Amino acid sequence: MNAHARPVGGKIVTPFFLVLLALAATAGVLVGYRLFTGVGSITALTDQYSWGIWKPINVVTFTGIGAGAYGVGLLTYILNNGKYHPLIRPAVLVGAIGYSLGGASVMIDLGRWWGSVFLLYPPWYNFSSILLEVALCVLTYVGVLWVEVTPAILDRWSADGSSRLKRFAARLQPRLQAALPFVIALAMLLPTMHQSSLGSLYLMAPTKEYPLWFTGWLPFLFLTSCLTMGFGSVSAVDILAGSVMPGRYRTNMALLGGIARVAGWVSLFYVAFRFADLAISGRIGYAFQRSYQVPFFWAEIALFTTSGLLFLSRRARTDRGRLFTAAILALLAGAIYRVDTYLVAFDGGPGARYFPSVGEILVTVGLGALGVAAFLLIVKKLPIFAVGETRP
Amino acid sequence: MTLSRRTLLKTIAAGGAAGAAAAIALPAGAVSAEAPPPVPPDARGLLYDSTLCIGCQTCTVACQRANRMPSEKSVKVINGAPYLFPTDINADCRTVIKLYEKGDRWAFMKMQCMQCLEPSCTKACMLGSMQKRQYGIVTWDPVRCTGCRYCQIACPYEVPKFQWDSPVPMIVKCDLCLARKDGKTGSACAEVCPREAVIAGPREELLATARRRMAASPRKYNPKIFGEHDGGGNQSMLLAPAGVEFTDLGLPALGDVPPSRLAMNIQHTTYKGFIAPAVLYVAAAVAVFRNMRAERKADAAQGGNEEDRP
Ligand code: SF4
Ligand code: SF4
Ligand code: SF4
Repeated sequence: MNAHARPVGGKIVTPFFLVLLALAATAGVLVGYRLFTGVGSITALTDQYSWGIWKPINVVTFTGIGAGAYGVGLLTYILNNGKYHPLIRPAVLVGAIGYSLGGASVMIDLGRWWGSVFLLYPPWYNFSSILLEVALCVLTYVGVLWVEVTPAILDRWSADGSSRLKRFAARLQPRLQAALPFVIALAMLLPTMHQSSLGSLYLMAPTKEYPLWFTGWLPFLFLTSCLTMGFGSVSAVDILAGSVMPGRYRTNMALLGGIARVAGWVSLFYVAFRFADLAISGRIGYAFQRSYQVPFFWAEIALFTTSGLLFLSRRARTDRGRLFTAAILALLAGAIYRVDTYLVAFDGGPGARYFPSVGEILVTVGLGALGVAAFLLIVKKLPIFAVGETRP
Repeated sequence: MTLSRRTLLKTIAAGGAAGAAAAIALPAGAVSAEAPPPVPPDARGLLYDSTLCIGCQTCTVACQRANRMPSEKSVKVINGAPYLFPTDINADCRTVIKLYEKGDRWAFMKMQCMQCLEPSCTKACMLGSMQKRQYGIVTWDPVRCTGCRYCQIACPYEVPKFQWDSPVPMIVKCDLCLARKDGKTGSACAEVCPREAVIAGPREELLATARRRMAASPRKYNPKIFGEHDGGGNQSMLLAPAGVEFTDLGLPALGDVPPSRLAMNIQHTTYKGFIAPAVLYVAAAVAVFRNMRAERKADAAQGGNEEDRP
């Protein structure tokens, strides 16, 4: 299926790559320091705001960006639109990296991280815990995503590995092929579960969430918006690939146009659903009150609406720049919805305040940089993109 | 890609079934079961009577001593006067007396864990570190705790506190002195209170005492016992003076249903017996399998996957 995917090749260590590594190293130093001094030493977290930006950005937004694998997977494998195949490998790689970073962030954030080994000990599972479901699903899904990346590694080995590697790849490939439907089905089920549960987490705090965000439909809204984010990230990656490798990779506007249509309708559906829910439950009045949360709500709605309309506009299907804008807006929309639910809407009690510390921001930026660096490294070495032969 | 009409229909049916399973599961969860939580037969708690409290903070000091916690060292200036006590519970302080003023009314309020009958913290905790254990007391088990702090997000009273500056942080909260470190047993705060403003005992006895006090001087009290039913009921309860609402004391308005019920209903309905996820998985696997096979056939028929070439 991905017979035409090839390693991009080219130099790995570029100035940009070094900048990324430097950012990642800064985060690494901070994390090392935190190991010896406690979570409070590099964060602005307090007992009132015990979850800061690491949760909604590092975990929930990184995995939202990674949800492209889920979104395109749904289109390709479930709705049987095989034409989207060329987008799958990049999306799965972004997913594997995004989810790994999300998992890493959780570990950095956990005060007693060593205690998480007992996540492997079912007798202690508390099946009432939404967080447990999220943790187990995300952990499994990280594994599933990397398994989905292995065909690329095997392709590479069978193409130009040593004869041992070639034989190994030849032996493994058919087995992987046979197992793939079951792996892919898992890759469809797990995000459905944990992306929605990432919203359910805040159902536990009914008295602390601002009514504009607190709804029994939180899980559904998180699931819906992870799809728009996923479609956004897939489109953005494909357009970027086309612009940094002119002549070698052609952004497939026909495919992206199809995705844009779906993404556009899902975005607008999200907005309509959000308003319907607010109206039916009688909370719509909060949208017009004077309170610092309200502008965030309208920003969220504005982003979802504009990205949705842009996705659907006729020109977006031919104009790369326009589609790229739509994709980035979709990512921002999902991100702000997540930050709103986790932080803006959360009331930590009278006088409680939270603004991310420099340390938290540097760790977030560093992890993001690490992700981009890993992506660049892997696409240069493994057959991920369907690039042309000619080397620039 | 060639795809027979039959396969297509079946695929849609499979996808539809999966979607329906998820769709039915969600709204059904929104219907909440209102049954009150059971009271453990040996349930113990505290009863705090705001009308008797003189705000001396002896309980705060006794609590810190009994549980070997460092006492507050920073002197704050409050309303122009130096003040030595913590202003809220924190990782070094499991209980504190607060003064609430509203207009010309004021009242003291003792803050500590309410020992909920259906606590949000125990529902949140991944590996059951927070659990109702002996006497229905909610205690923290260091071995099972990952330091995720979801209990802090979930607790409607903001009770669990986290040691932010420790590489080996603990969650700190009132455990009714279940693990006192000064060799004695029973609640230290109740033991030292000079006015019986805070007393400890079995929940039933505490309720009886509260009713007796209220019956003796009904005009003195707010007629409600906070924690008898609030949030499904607590083991530690409060009495307020007449004319003072419990929300004025900084307590949340929870209603009688445990605050975690909505989440639990949605979650448990969605995942009941793991049926919906299983159906979803099987449906997805069938769809993927069929689609991949159809695609392979199509590829073979065309002698390659020309169509896939971007
Ligand atoms: S008051 Fe908070 S910490 Fe105490 S039992 Fe209830 S939910 Fe748990
Ligand atoms: S911080 Fe510890 S006790 Fe609190 S919910 Fe997390 S694992 Fe449980
Ligand atoms: S019962 Fe013990 S731990 Fe709880 S507030 Fe009183 S003295 Fe402190």
